[in-house]
Amino acid sequence: MKEILFISGKGGTGKTSLTASFIHLAGNCIACDYDVDASNLPILLKPENVLTCAFSAGYGARIDGESCVSCGLCAVNCRFEAISPDFQVIPLACEGCGFCAKVCPVQAISMHPRSSGHWFQGRFAEGQTMFYADLRPGEENSGKLVAQVKTAARKTAAIDQCSLIIADGPPGIGCAVISSMVEVDLVVLVTEPSRSGFHDLERVYQLMQLRGIKGIVIINKYDLNPVIGREIEDWAAENGIALAGKIPFSTLIAESIAEAQIPAVHPEIREMLFPVWENIKEQLRLV
Amino acid sequence: MQIAVASGKGGTGKTLLATCLAKVLTNQQLVLVDADVEEPNAALAFSQPVRKTITVTRLVPKIDPDKCTFCGICGEVCQFNALVTLQDRVLVFNELCHSCGACVFFCPLTSISETDHPIGVIEETGLSEKATLITGRLVMGEAQSPPLIKAAKSLQAKAEVRIIDCPPGTTCAMIEAVKGSDYCLLVTEPTPFGMHDLELSLEAVKMLGIPGGLIINRWQAEDNELAVLSLKSGFPILARIPFSLELAQAYMQGQEPLQTMPELREIITDIYHQVEETLS
Repeated sequence: MKEILFISGKGGTGKTSLTASFIHLAGNCIACDYDVDASNLPILLKPENVLTCAFSAGYGARIDGESCVSCGLCAVNCRFEAISPDFQVIPLACEGCGFCAKVCPVQAISMHPRSSGHWFQGRFAEGQTMFYADLRPGEENSGKLVAQVKTAARKTAAIDQCSLIIADGPPGIGCAVISSMVEVDLVVLVTEPSRSGFHDLERVYQLMQLRGIKGIVIINKYDLNPVIGREIEDWAAENGIALAGKIPFSTLIAESIAEAQIPAVHPEIREMLFPVWENIKEQLRLV
Repeated sequence: MQIAVASGKGGTGKTLLATCLAKVLTNQQLVLVDADVEEPNAALAFSQPVRKTITVTRLVPKIDPDKCTFCGICGEVCQFNALVTLQDRVLVFNELCHSCGACVFFCPLTSISETDHPIGVIEETGLSEKATLITGRLVMGEAQSPPLIKAAKSLQAKAEVRIIDCPPGTTCAMIEAVKGSDYCLLVTEPTPFGMHDLELSLEAVKMLGIPGGLIINRWQAEDNELAVLSLKSGFPILARIPFSLELAQAYMQGQEPLQTMPELREIITDIYHQVEETLS
């Protein structure tokens, strides 16, 4: 079983449009969306959910007002300013460390699993499986939810003898991205030819290197800035990163997204993306 | 006044809006905080040298092997599995540690102290006589950005106008960045992705109880769905920045967007006036 992850560092470079397109071109694969707090792949793949699982990232403190003697030990020791002056827990600030519960002299504080979101298994197209999640706003530990989605996908892939997982990754370089990279065979770096696109690409590439993962680059909207496009190509060559393809700015792709359609369903886009997909597959064979 | 510039979806134009606000508001003492510490980009809009760099750390436990009896209490106390006691040593996983300090407090032998673990840097850049840019930059491989965001926001707290360029999404990092602001500008684009992520970020901003308004970027013609969402949420549409391939191209090439699209200056000034009016 092999896993391909699409990431970009910067948001809005076209990760999801391209991931959905390559999932469409690949056919027999399991699809995953690791962007658990703003999941967009399901908008294009339109899965029908067959399984919903609750996700708890950790614990939250609760103070029993009747037993509380207002001694203030909890508030003094809490480093997250999660206890208000009238001894109420502020849920958004509480990290669930449990220090308060242990330090309370009258056992007025208890810890409870917090509901942090859900993850889903769905079916799309002709019986393909996808996994995605929905982290509640403000929740932490998105990395843990990514890990759960990944575990579920890998398990299903093993049972169904599916040889390929294609995943849409989150933006940034933080916990969700780090978690997304676990056990990945090839990262497809989707970038755009702007200073910020290039800057973010370099950062996310450094993170991959720390983890020893191979990558391949797609320069999206290439024609909007051929100068930086060229710089990115040179940078990729210097670092021994293969170029999967250069994709021009396309109103056809924009129109597909506006209609919530997978861009590669359109024959013209399919034709344009097909060689890029062949390059990605070839690179995957090499790792 | 502190204005957060946020969006659920990445790449909708948060940084464009935040940096243009900083360029347009020249009469006030202003600080722009780039709180997208995973991928900070605001500095790229100004070609100014960094004048000061500060290292930001958070506390992690340090075990004194001479005092430790490997009793295992620290590991039991830790909710994050950051401490694992073996027969002859204690392993500390800094990246899992939340710096709560419980292990130090409950160690029966005072064999745990705390040490600084670097998580990133804050760069200070002078933009003009009155304006400063504060950039948070997360160390590669560090999973926890909120402490760095908090540290970056704590600087120059008294500036007349503070603009916070927030990270995308709706996780704890976005909350940390938006928290404490007087107003939140939510930047969106008129696509199904933009709509979906806007709904999530509206929920997050409402949780914080902060008033806000919507900026539709790359606006083309129809925005009925966004208008309905605006009405339902009570977040007015403050501005529509028209789609312009020329602007996209110029922005990517590092040209000044306020020059490429002169009407942008008016749009940005108007957004600021509307925020001022709402808050007065």
